[in-house]
Amino acid sequence: MRKLDGHLVVLSVLVVVLLVVGGAASDGTYLSLYNLQSMAMQVPEIGLLAIGVMLAMCAGNGGIDLSGIALANLAGVASGLLALSLFSADDAPMLFTVTFAAGAVLVGVAGGFLNGWIISRFGITPILCTLGTQMLYTGLAVVLSDGRSVTVGSPDPLYEIGNGLLFQVPTSFLIFCAVAALLSAVLRYTPYGLQLMLTGANPKAADYSGFPKRRIIATTYTISGTLAGIAGVIIAARNVNVKWDYGTSYLLIAILIAVMAGVRPQGGYGRVVCVVLSAVVLQLLSSLLNFVGLSNFVRDFAWGALLLGFLAVGRFALIEQFASIFALKRRPRASRV
Amino acid sequence: MKKLSVHIGLVTALMVSAVAFAPEAALAQEKSITTVVKISGIPWFDRMKTGVEKFANENPDMAITQVGPATADSAQQLQIVQDLVAKGTDALAVVPMDPSILEGIFKRAMDRGTIVVTHEADNQKNTMVDVEAFDNDAYGAALNERLAECMGGKGKWTTFVGSLGSRTHMQWVGAGEENAKSKHADMELVDPNNESFDDANATYEKAKEILRKHPDIKGFQTSAGNDVLGVGRAIEEAGLTGKVCLVGTGLPNPSAAYLDSGAITAIGFWDPQKAGMAMNAVAKLLLEGKSVEDGMDLGVPGYEKVSVKQGAGKGQLVIGNGMVLADKDNYKEYLF
Repeated sequence: MRKLDGHLVVLSVLVVVLLVVGGAASDGTYLSLYNLQSMAMQVPEIGLLAIGVMLAMCAGNGGIDLSGIALANLAGVASGLLALSLFSADDAPMLFTVTFAAGAVLVGVAGGFLNGWIISRFGITPILCTLGTQMLYTGLAVVLSDGRSVTVGSPDPLYEIGNGLLFQVPTSFLIFCAVAALLSAVLRYTPYGLQLMLTGANPKAADYSGFPKRRIIATTYTISGTLAGIAGVIIAARNVNVKWDYGTSYLLIAILIAVMAGVRPQGGYGRVVCVVLSAVVLQLLSSLLNFVGLSNFVRDFAWGALLLGFLAVGRFALIEQFASIFALKRRPRASRV
Repeated sequence: MKKLSVHIGLVTALMVSAVAFAPEAALAQEKSITTVVKISGIPWFDRMKTGVEKFANENPDMAITQVGPATADSAQQLQIVQDLVAKGTDALAVVPMDPSILEGIFKRAMDRGTIVVTHEADNQKNTMVDVEAFDNDAYGAALNERLAECMGGKGKWTTFVGSLGSRTHMQWVGAGEENAKSKHADMELVDPNNESFDDANATYEKAKEILRKHPDIKGFQTSAGNDVLGVGRAIEEAGLTGKVCLVGTGLPNPSAAYLDSGAITAIGFWDPQKAGMAMNAVAKLLLEGKSVEDGMDLGVPGYEKVSVKQGAGKGQLVIGNGMVLADKDNYKEYLF
């Protein structure tokens, strides 16, 4: 049996608590189908970026990806301009959407690979490398778009990605869940997943074990970039327009989500399901505060308090301790160390 | 796995109970208007809040509030708007950080029956009414007329804009040039359209350069909010206070010292307090099922006789006459 995961428990409990509190505070509007869908629509873009940050953190050696939102915006801008120049969104909506989505993901892959290549090839600290590429990507997006927003419009299939519903669940949220499930499986069942975590946990040991370290790191940042590309598609689909300065606040929020999910900043540990739940918790909380009409500064305060709380949960293994106390009470003879 | 199914069960139960509660809650609701600003906690939007609060006091039967993101990011504003739409707010009065980013959510909001009113976004397509404080051309001409009055209608003058890409700034100085050309033939425009990037220090350096290059310059017309501060400092340090005229967009509080000393002749602006009230007044009209007509009185100073035009999209563009030109004598009425 797997060890009890404190973060998973706390996050799941928080989701339920926030839903109940929100329902009570808003006479039920918070739990209306429309709001649940609306909140689910908001999660994917930041959730994808947070998973990217998590992967980079897992790779160890101070791994982090600061270029996420910049790359997502660049993907949207570059691919949007390309698709607009090739097809008319009105005459060939399907072709337009496919070109746009494929282009954006490709830009994401390329941008992520550049990060990974620089970090693994030249051994540059990830925080410096991705800070540099963040500015590079932002700059490129500004130059390509002349600093203006690019209107990708709302041709049907693209609009569906951002705003459509499938069995009453937002399409973008389903995409997000599918991507998360896929990555979760990759991390757990493939040699790459194991090697990534072990490299993060102890780079030296990984070296001596003959792990292809460069390839692992390059792959990790490429995946992170790909996620940014997908986020770019979702942002464009949701907002009709893409712009280089969209979501500047996402950078820190993505890191906050990853740390709240119990990802070890030193590397070697992180679970996708916790990142997904953590993103959901943040969304529930900020929507709740918007519903109650509290100042947005209270939200920052609440996020900070949450983060500190989660750091405590992780540091002192609070949940595991509670669990073992219960276990001891129930079965005094059980020897669990 | 078991835990997961318990969760799903819980959530489903909550959702079902929520659906059951919802109609009851809707009955007791008063009409609500929420103003969403670009960023909360800065003087401009604090001033707007006083207007929204005033409007709330005049309409105690409605739930009227103002909110805004804590950071200047269009994504954060989008999130607030989306939550408010989901909450079922009846009318939204939004000052968009970036009109293009909000197009999608505004469309969905209007599809859902939410009233959408905007301000400072005359290029917004998905809005019912966009309220502008004044006509940009008239504002630029008014600034120039004030400058000409100070200059005695003759002499060299120049202009500053935030950046050449700033549409409104270019409109203001363009209208100013037009005004000088047609009414004051003795005014000579030199080195026009200096870019300030709204940076008081850079503007100061640039203004010093101009003062050296044209020792006989008589006037400056500036556009971005910090320009008057930079140019004012340059004029004061050169000992030219009272000899060189300076008229531009600025805010009363920061400009107070230079207005008192005379380095700034006059500042122009629109009062966010009145703009906030005007937006809410329009939202209230729309909620009552009425519409805004040309020449209508919104009941807010500066918006007594609004002109109505076709907006960028299907909505209307409502333009007031809310410009304020303040000088040494009257700026204290508008301290913010």
